[in-house]
Amino acid sequence: MRKVLLLMLFIAPLTAFSQGFQVNLEGQKQIGMGHTGVGTLQDGASVFFNPGAVAMLPENYIQGGISPLFFKSDFNPAGTSVQNRTSNKIATPFEFYGVWGPKSSFWKLGLGVYTPFGGLTDWGNTWQGKYVLESLNLKAIYFQPTLSIKLADFLSIGGGFVYNHGSVDLTRAIPLANSSGEPGQAELKGSGKGYGWNAGIYIKTESGVTVGITHRSQVNTTISNGNAIFKVPTSIQSSFPQPNTFTSTIPLPATNSIGFGFYPCSKWILALDVNIVNWDAYKTLSFDYKTNTSALQDTHSARNYQQAYSFRGGAQYKATNNVALRFGGGYASTAVADGYVTPEAPDANRVYGTLGLGYTLAKHLDIDISFEYEHLMQRTQTNIESQLSGTFKTDVYIPGISLAYHW
Amino acid sequence: MKTLKQHIYIIAGLLLLGACKPEIHTPKPVAGSADFSRYISVGNSLTAGYADGGLYLAGQQVSYPSIIGKQMQAVGGGAFTQPLFSTAQSNGSGYLSLTGFNADGTPITTPVTTNLGIRGQVTVPGFGNVILYTKYSGDINNYGVPGIKLLHITYAPYGNLNGYFERLLPGNPPTNSTTYLDFVMAKPFTFFSNWLGNNDALSYATSGGAGDVLTDKNTFAYLYNVLITTLTAKGQKGVVATIPDVTSIPYFNTITVSAILAGVQKANPAAQALYIKALVSGSTYAPRAATTNDLIVLTFPTSKIGQPVATPFGNLPYGLTPYTPIDNQYVLDEKEAALTEDYVTSYNNTIKTIAIAKGLAIFDAYTFLRNIKQNGLVVDGVSVNSNYISGGLFSLDGVHLTPRGYAIVADEFIKAINDKYNSSIPRVNISDYNGVKFP
Repeated sequence: MRKVLLLMLFIAPLTAFSQGFQVNLEGQKQIGMGHTGVGTLQDGASVFFNPGAVAMLPENYIQGGISPLFFKSDFNPAGTSVQNRTSNKIATPFEFYGVWGPKSSFWKLGLGVYTPFGGLTDWGNTWQGKYVLESLNLKAIYFQPTLSIKLADFLSIGGGFVYNHGSVDLTRAIPLANSSGEPGQAELKGSGKGYGWNAGIYIKTESGVTVGITHRSQVNTTISNGNAIFKVPTSIQSSFPQPNTFTSTIPLPATNSIGFGFYPCSKWILALDVNIVNWDAYKTLSFDYKTNTSALQDTHSARNYQQAYSFRGGAQYKATNNVALRFGGGYASTAVADGYVTPEAPDANRVYGTLGLGYTLAKHLDIDISFEYEHLMQRTQTNIESQLSGTFKTDVYIPGISLAYHW
Repeated sequence: MKTLKQHIYIIAGLLLLGACKPEIHTPKPVAGSADFSRYISVGNSLTAGYADGGLYLAGQQVSYPSIIGKQMQAVGGGAFTQPLFSTAQSNGSGYLSLTGFNADGTPITTPVTTNLGIRGQVTVPGFGNVILYTKYSGDINNYGVPGIKLLHITYAPYGNLNGYFERLLPGNPPTNSTTYLDFVMAKPFTFFSNWLGNNDALSYATSGGAGDVLTDKNTFAYLYNVLITTLTAKGQKGVVATIPDVTSIPYFNTITVSAILAGVQKANPAAQALYIKALVSGSTYAPRAATTNDLIVLTFPTSKIGQPVATPFGNLPYGLTPYTPIDNQYVLDEKEAALTEDYVTSYNNTIKTIAIAKGLAIFDAYTFLRNIKQNGLVVDGVSVNSNYISGGLFSLDGVHLTPRGYAIVADEFIKAINDKYNSSIPRVNISDYNGVKFP
């Protein structure tokens, strides 16, 4: 008669990725030049930037690098002076490339291991949006074996198969307080996999300008049997059965790129890239819980993402035989439409600037360092689903370093 | 070349050091055309922070006026004091706590009876027993008195009949003769909120139309005018709230006729209907079959249904025959509900008319809570609705609010004040406040 039916308290937990989750840190030389590299040829990072250019590399490469990422986001709830900030956690995107082929041959094999999507956000458990998100740690590691073939002196093609190992660890508060007034908590933790490909064409035109065109395919990453951990007051734990698992498929979108390299004189390289990211494939996010109750239903949440664009430019100046100075920058439009912005990746149109320095340590050994600063435009939003209303502002600081051995 | 490298390191290092926190610049909050230096709140149990069927310290600390008072401090508001129960007597009048669920999902509530702030009881001739609480003699900004009606604000003996008012007055019954209105006006103030009038309709409704009467519409209008004229006599500004639709609270919507009947039919498929004692007209009541428009109160002991009752026709099951209808006090029947609704509408027209005439801000609680009942509400990722316990808005008594409910109400008051006086009192962080506590 007086049966208490708990609300459907658990709205879709993960708003998933946006431009904010696309991590454009796949090579230190390229980062220094505004993360361009589709239409230019620098080193083994071409496995990612343009597999079609790999066969044109004059040498074999083994290289690895890391870009500690400081993501600093601020949320100001509407109608207040309150500032909720993310805590200082450092994400670690990395890249590793190997390229090998017989000397002066028409083909090269490559392997890339890199992290094109991810996020590390921790808003804490006391901020205004704790019932939307407390923290998120998202990683996607792509493994890409690659074959590239030179068809002519001016034309090469290449492609690679992509295996993605993805993992997610997300926490949020549940608005069910225990006798001491502490809210419950949900944690979704799991890993999964997905497959895709990456292919490109590289052309050296008669005018000396180089052109690259690439397509990196969508990678549908399925997390199956992830742990769904619900800490709620004892008397209602049965509405959130434990242990429980969840399944979800997240589309990591396709990227189409065209890039150009210009060589005005021997000391200078100028590069220009344009990317189109097919986020519009991302319509809904669903979570399927293995054990459902009236309080814990599967969720289907509208996303309605839009296609996003980025424009990148950069330059390298060879100061001496051993030293290269690099700088660049660009603009990326947001994939998230008004009303869909969330604390997972408080996405907005962004501008960024980069600096880089390359130094030849020894005959076969390069060290490259880079620094990138990204600024996401202030964006005032009321999320349709959570009604969380306020202004987001985000700055990202990314130093980076890599070593490359070539022979 | 080395120097260049060092420079880059230094620049990068500086950039990192300068990687200071992002800052969103917000305009400085302003008081607009109002003066919040001494804000007082006038009202009843809702204003006092009453919850879970009692007044206790934890509830007082999250009363909506205290939340508003705290937010006003950003725009020149002073200290906001309340007649709090002491820590030693923090359970005040006692209250209900949720201690578990039965196998069928129904909640088990248990009264809290320790650390009370009760000092005794007196019997007032011709009125009845009055529980006396520990006196409070400090400063007061929150004048909320549980149980008070608008009807009582000029009634001099009232301080002897309501223990919650009596504890704020210096004298003992039957010596108190300060009216509530005089008590509120004793100390100057610059801004007020007023949410009186609920009990003029609610007390009738919660007693199933049996234990109280609706305040006469003209009397209500006369007294409301007296109240607002007095409160604004020195040009003070303020905000008033309308009276919620009584049928929008879980107290009348949790135990339903159809649910009881379904329970009966499980045991006895032949049962056709529940019988209630329903209003015919005036004060004439007659038994009839209950419909879904008849509202059963939350406190109805459903175990009574079907118990044998002695009648001239022999023993008949309670609630299941016209000779043994459910008692009037347990049912707000369709006509009683319509009558209450009619009075509430009239009271609210009075409130709005007078408030507009005096240039006051209005929080239309009637519309707001009605909307929540129909559509629910999502705030900061939390869904709330009008369901008992699970809705997160109403406390265990089904009438008063949870801390989350009071925070939402405080925020609505602030919105109304800001809109009217071009002030920018900071909005409330609803996610800081809980719903019902579960064991």
